Amino acid sequence: MQSGIFHTSYEKDMALRRTHAQKIRLVILIVLGLVFPFIANRYYLTLANQVGIAIIGAIGLNILVGYTGQISLGQGGFMAVGAYTAGILTARLGMPWWASTIVACIVTAMIGTIFGIPSLRLKGLYLAIATLAAQEIILWIVTHWKTLTGGVEALVVPDPMLFGIRMNNDFNFYWLVWGLVVVVTILTVNLFRTRFGRAFIAIRDQDIAASVMGVDLFKYKLLAFAISSFWVGLAGALIAHYRNIVTWERFTIDVSVLYLAMIIIGGLGSVTGSYLGAAFMMLLPAVLTNIGRAVKGFFPAIDSIIPFIQQATFGLVIILFLVFEPEGLNKIWKDIKDYFRLWPFSY
Amino acid sequence: MSRTKQTLLALVVIASVVLAACGGGGGGGGKEAIKIGAIHDLTGPTSDVGTPYAEGLKAYVEWANANGGINGHPIELLSADYAYKVDQAEQLYSQYVQEGVVAFQGWGTGDTEALRSRIAEDKIPFMSASYSANLLDMEVAPYNFLIGTSYSDQGIIALQWAMEDWADSGNSGTPKVAFIHHDSPFGQSPIPDMQAFADANGIEFMTIAMPKATDFVAELAQIQQFGANYVIVHTVSSPAAVLVKDAKSQGMMDSVKFINLNWCADEIFINLAGDAAEGVYGAIPFTPPSDPVPGHEAPAQWLKEHGSTLEEKGLHFVQGWWTMAVMAEGIKRVLDAGQDVTGENIKAALESIQNFDTGGVTYPISFSPTSHRGNVALRLYQVQNGQWVRISDYIQAP
Repeated sequence: MQSGIFHTSYEKDMALRRTHAQKIRLVILIVLGLVFPFIANRYYLTLANQVGIAIIGAIGLNILVGYTGQISLGQGGFMAVGAYTAGILTARLGMPWWASTIVACIVTAMIGTIFGIPSLRLKGLYLAIATLAAQEIILWIVTHWKTLTGGVEALVVPDPMLFGIRMNNDFNFYWLVWGLVVVVTILTVNLFRTRFGRAFIAIRDQDIAASVMGVDLFKYKLLAFAISSFWVGLAGALIAHYRNIVTWERFTIDVSVLYLAMIIIGGLGSVTGSYLGAAFMMLLPAVLTNIGRAVKGFFPAIDSIIPFIQQATFGLVIILFLVFEPEGLNKIWKDIKDYFRLWPFSY
Repeated sequence: MSRTKQTLLALVVIASVVLAACGGGGGGGGKEAIKIGAIHDLTGPTSDVGTPYAEGLKAYVEWANANGGINGHPIELLSADYAYKVDQAEQLYSQYVQEGVVAFQGWGTGDTEALRSRIAEDKIPFMSASYSANLLDMEVAPYNFLIGTSYSDQGIIALQWAMEDWADSGNSGTPKVAFIHHDSPFGQSPIPDMQAFADANGIEFMTIAMPKATDFVAELAQIQQFGANYVIVHTVSSPAAVLVKDAKSQGMMDSVKFINLNWCADEIFINLAGDAAEGVYGAIPFTPPSDPVPGHEAPAQWLKEHGSTLEEKGLHFVQGWWTMAVMAEGIKRVLDAGQDVTGENIKAALESIQNFDTGGVTYPISFSPTSHRGNVALRLYQVQNGQWVRISDYIQAP
């Protein structure tokens, strides 16, 4: 009977999948991911694609906030940079969608780095306000630089084609977005096994100590902004190509707050937490809407107040999760695993 | 893991699985139901006007179903609140399309713009309360239909009326007009067309965006410095009410005439602005209940039976009601022709509508295969004794 997981070598300790159960779960997850699009209807595919994009954005934000400890309220703005860069390059210059997506990631990384400069002097709430400024500045530019972004008119982006196949119908896009989710996950998980990742974590835990140990704060904080924004830009570019249309209203401050909520609820400083948080925040409204519909069938009289109950439930569920598990869904997931590993002899 | 945590977790999991499996259903009895999807803003930033509009849509459906539906087919309205969130609009849209809706009622600029390429792809005729002229481009928005006068047309009609009023008041030359607008695509959309009209008619024209602020004294000072004779206001009711209150306290109301475009010319504006609303003009495409027309009778009767009044619900209720009525007319024409009720056929049927009478609620609605600009004219109103009073006949945009 084991009472925990103990490693006897550094290789085992550093491995991504440390236990047999983890490997089995991974296989099950991959099989489910491969089968899902063939059994799901368009509605579920739409949800899956929205969740996939949100996961990429949440992983990006988690690198910055969860792993490096730099609070950012600029998520919506950075996604807008990604979406508009990809959209403008494809719609105006005729660049292929995959090329414009890569350029969008790089441009967002650069813009993110520029707005990351204040982080060298500012911490905590002060940095939050500085990144809030980034959000507002970017959206102001988007809505007012008409010659570039189209200003008032939504930017229409041509369909992404790959070898004559339209990539943005729900089925094909599923493969694209979840393929990218896998790539982003592998790269991010491995990032935190390198000196860069360890430097980020050192900065988060105690930046002065990190600096004393020889971590170049200037370099690594900006690098964290760059890598984070790179993924956020990817999420933005995917939205542009998925929906063929880019409008500023998709990237407001609400989005920044939503993504912060995702990683806080999912679990700061955890890739799995980004998955869980993104799925939770994107699916909860859908679940609540369907509950609302079911309830409406039983109690037509309260039809008119159901939307308000839904809104209140949304807030309540989030508060309850945080009260019962402040470390997020990821901790709950870990608790479940620990419970079953020792089951039925848990203590 | 403690027992409470386990219980909580188990409850949440069970509840979500069970309830997610529910939903759907409905229909049954008589002829096959016609499914129409709709999204409403009942809890989001535009819920003040979104709620009566949504109630109007739903009320029309109930009223129509109680009166035999469309040629005996009941309408099944699949609808939910989306709180003006684009992601949720997309979720609901794809869910309802999956469940077989043949037409869709949207709401704001955000969702209408975000969905327009998907509705074209899915061939779902779409109406909403966003009257942006961008949606009239048949290339990119072939399935969008506009029931209200477009913001550009509203702005031009206001300019035209200002010119006539200026001349009628015994002035020579042309007036100076300021356009103060919501700082968003919704607010900015009519500017290019209004600017072109102003330039062509020699009107001195300035535009100014309303910041997110608690007062607009600075903007009014700019307008005064410009020497505007008319101010066209294109925003929603609450900032418009603040604007005219500020203007009144600055003593501008005597020398300057304010003309509100449709989203700030309603009962909410009068309630919020109080005395300051007196004398303000409104470019209103949907006849308010204070000016009774035959098209108000059915909704008023329905509301009376449900313990409310049209005066209480206001003109946005009428707007929702008649927007749904026009869509129902399109579906009726498909059924009359003995065709299948599909999005494509509804689009073609809507395009055959000529001078559809809304009982005087709007200028007669006409669509054609080359234009989905259903409503080209509106009447001007003025606030007198806390009511919108009609002061002009229909004015058509050139």
